[in-house]
Amino acid sequence: MATTAVDAPAAPAPPPRRNRSRLTLRNTFIGWTFILPNFIGFAVLTLVPVVTLFYLAFTSWNAFGQANWIGLENFARLLTDGTFHTALINTGYYAVLHIPLTLAVSLGLALLLNHKMRGIAFFRTVAFFPYITSIVAIAVVWNMLFSPDSGPINQFLMALGIDNPPGWTTSATWSMPAVVLTSVWREMGYYMLLFLAGLQAIPRELYEAARVDGAHAIQRFWNVTVPSLRPTTFFVTVILTIQSFKVLDLILVMTDGGPGTSTLVLAQYIYRKGFEENDFGYASAVAVVLFFICLGLTVVQFLLNKRKEV
Amino acid sequence: MKRTMLTGAAALAAAALTLTACSGGDDTAGGGEGDAGNAENVDTITLAGWSLATTPEFQVLADAYNEQNPDVTVELQEYDATEYDTQMIADLAAGSAPDMYVLKNLKNFVTYQDGGQLLDLSDIEVGDEVNGVDAYTVDGATYAIPYRQDAWYLYYNTDLFDQAGIDYPDGSWTWDDYAATAEELTEALGGDALGTYQHSWQSTLQGFANAQDPAADVLSGEWEYLVPWYERIVELQDAGAQMNFGAVTTNSVTYQSQFGTQQAAMMPMGSWYVATLLAQQESGDAEQFNWGFAPAPQLDSSTTDNPVTFADPTGIGINPAVDADVAAAAKDFLAFVASEDAASALAEIGITPAITNDAVTETYFSIEGVPTDELSQFAFSTHEVRPENPVSADTATLQNILSDAHSAILSGTVSPADGIAEAMDRAQSEVLG
Repeated sequence: MATTAVDAPAAPAPPPRRNRSRLTLRNTFIGWTFILPNFIGFAVLTLVPVVTLFYLAFTSWNAFGQANWIGLENFARLLTDGTFHTALINTGYYAVLHIPLTLAVSLGLALLLNHKMRGIAFFRTVAFFPYITSIVAIAVVWNMLFSPDSGPINQFLMALGIDNPPGWTTSATWSMPAVVLTSVWREMGYYMLLFLAGLQAIPRELYEAARVDGAHAIQRFWNVTVPSLRPTTFFVTVILTIQSFKVLDLILVMTDGGPGTSTLVLAQYIYRKGFEENDFGYASAVAVVLFFICLGLTVVQFLLNKRKEV
Repeated sequence: MKRTMLTGAAALAAAALTLTACSGGDDTAGGGEGDAGNAENVDTITLAGWSLATTPEFQVLADAYNEQNPDVTVELQEYDATEYDTQMIADLAAGSAPDMYVLKNLKNFVTYQDGGQLLDLSDIEVGDEVNGVDAYTVDGATYAIPYRQDAWYLYYNTDLFDQAGIDYPDGSWTWDDYAATAEELTEALGGDALGTYQHSWQSTLQGFANAQDPAADVLSGEWEYLVPWYERIVELQDAGAQMNFGAVTTNSVTYQSQFGTQQAAMMPMGSWYVATLLAQQESGDAEQFNWGFAPAPQLDSSTTDNPVTFADPTGIGINPAVDADVAAAAKDFLAFVASEDAASALAEIGITPAITNDAVTETYFSIEGVPTDELSQFAFSTHEVRPENPVSADTATLQNILSDAHSAILSGTVSPADGIAEAMDRAQSEVLG
């Protein structure tokens, strides 16, 4: 290579071009070596399973032997499967409660903890703490708090004069709200952190200008904070939506889908059909439906966001 | 550029699909049938087990065999206890499963058998004394050899019965007698303990119903026979003689703590609890008190001479991917597993072996601390054990539907009749229809 470089001046026109193409090649090669480790990981652990899943959704497969191609049969079965419909409705119900509540609570927390005051780091840590605690521990402790007879929550409600406090996780009506409350409590710290980052990126001059114009606190919140937080809010909403539709672990440990099927969600239904009933083809079909729901909702959110930006 | 990436990804995915599709099924020819292998060429065979530190039965079998066959070592391969089947299915599909594996429950037997993952073991000689072989027999061929056959008993705390001044179970009880005694005990004990404790598992109720009720047929999807069983336990809950289902699930109550710390005077539970209770009384995890076990209550008095109870057998099968020599060695080990020597070795550590003849019974009751009264000995040695679940591809799905009904009824969201009717509708539309 060195000799080429030395020889180069002798022939005026072509060498620089050859050099450039060689450089491009080298850069591409270096680029690939940077991407490759990550890409192989992604391909082996995500891409291949996802593609396989799409294939399996059109088959009947019990983990051993050949997967039999059955076309759209699994999807036709979904149309008449009452338990799938229940799981779909429950998942929607969870999302509808969970998304706005988490948004409101985490934004509220972020606003509260965005002030300069003593011990602020401590309070922020406290708010973030549930997020790094084990889900199983959280589920067990909250189940005890929700216990209908001896749990502190109902004892407190009874002390307030409520004679018939809810049965929480043991009642078909209240089990989902109970799970959502626990889940909001667990996740609020994480989203609070995202909102805090967003809040701190808002230029102080905007607030000063608003103040000079005579805007009071609420007006400053609606006209400065909310619009400036839009990228953060958008990001949080998208992530929250996907997370809500994928919810599994907390429900699995807290209620196991019960009582009856009152908290059975799509992710658990997939787990049941696949790993408990060894019906992997049908489980894959449900997973494909869940995938398209998440994809659809995300696309809609992006479109709405774009329209607002314009 | 984009196109190359896409083509590459597609090729990769196609390769993966071919791999996953081809890994099972076809390679069943390698093992035993036809060409008889030579077991002498093999010095190590591997066996799957779970939680080896707290489940000594696999090592006991391996050691007992090794004593008689010093040239062959049975090496244990550890799996996670709760994810056992998921991990085993993955390993079998990937071709990395051990030579022999335990069938932890009957529910998944059909998956392995139907999927061609078990060698035909019909040529192994198994004596009539071994219980549970039928459960592993499909179309006349046997696919696993049972080494352990649990049974469900009624455990009772004699100290609490004495305190209440109520007679111990005498082996003639029906479920109505049991429920009536539970209520009497609760009243007499005045808050010190409840009359009985039935754990939240669907087995504690459906297992008995399916084994004892002549009308029982899980696979038919006709489950009206379960209604009176549920009405009985709902009444017990309402009367305060049995802990509320909601309290059990929300407080993560364990059955060991309920009976072991004298919170309940009676408890229907599997035979494995004898060894657990002895160990816990010794370690201090359970309180010191006198106890015994009686045959499980019966549907009516016609079966009290030979009480009907339930529990799945635990068997060992051979991975069909092994070569003929290993298969021959594994079959030799399984023939030992079905022998009285293996049964005695298991009885010594408090496991209920698949053989319960006089010699084994004697070994079992010579363990220090095991209640030696006549009724406990009768309960151990005389009973008819029926499998908890029928072997069918639909069992797991139907059991999940029944499990939903179980939690809905016991938590009081629906009445027993409505809950069962709803479950029957689901069974019809989702599985049988």
